[in-house]
Amino acid sequence: MPTVSVTVAQDVTEAVKVPRAIFLPWPMGHHFGVPFHKELQRRVVLAALDLLENAGEPGTIVPLPIKWADVRREAKVLTEQGTRL
Amino acid sequence: MTAADRTDAAADAREAGTQLRPGLWETINARYPGSMIRKESFVRQARLAKPLTACRLSLVSSCGVHLKSDSPLDVGHPFGDFRFRRVPSSARHDELIIHQLKYPHDDADLDINVIFPIERLQELRDEGRLGGLTQDFFSFIGYNMDPEKFERTVAAEIADAVVQQERADCALLAPA
Repeated sequence: MPTVSVTVAQDVTEAVKVPRAIFLPWPMGHHFGVPFHKELQRRVVLAALDLLENAGEPGTIVPLPIKWADVRREAKVLTEQGTRL
Repeated sequence: MTAADRTDAAADAREAGTQLRPGLWETINARYPGSMIRKESFVRQARLAKPLTACRLSLVSSCGVHLKSDSPLDVGHPFGDFRFRRVPSSARHDELIIHQLKYPHDDADLDINVIFPIERLQELRDEGRLGGLTQDFFSFIGYNMDPEKFERTVAAEIADAVVQQERADCALLAPA
């Protein structure tokens, strides 16, 4: 059955040889971003689903180069605004 | 050499155990000895048989989330808990709780979608981007000190449930 993984540990994911994965350079426990940032969570899910449909080689790991510093900044703004996107 | 020959040659190289970056195996194996994956293992890739808009998707995560009404898995056992929990795919954040000690889940406690994007998947299903979701999703504790037992129990049982009971066409995996 086709699967896609979302990982924050690229080396471990490479070693266990998943069929396809997206890699986010983010801390453990934050694979889909930060609380209440629906847009970002959705972006990660859609990137994974896109890879599920279009992956090339077995073992493909596609980086999603979104900096954690930028994510934190957006999370801070959300908190300050008291907004839940 | 034809294009087809080149494809075969690449496949052979990977099957010969060169699917990993040089040196990676030694690094990871020093940290996580006893992996059930072997250096020469070759991962194959199943392809979707139909578009996602016609597929039923399941979600499997080692994040240790479960319904508040279910009993938590054993986070204190030195070898880990070799069971899993079913999470109805219709569940909302407020109905769920995480019991796991091995990764920071403060932010996921505020919004479960940070590690288990159940509500985002519900939205994509409602928008028609996904054909459907399996009735249940699956979660377990990603701390198990016996990989072989893990493969025989949790991994095999979840795989059976996802494929045979839930009739999933594909799965999103979220290792916590």
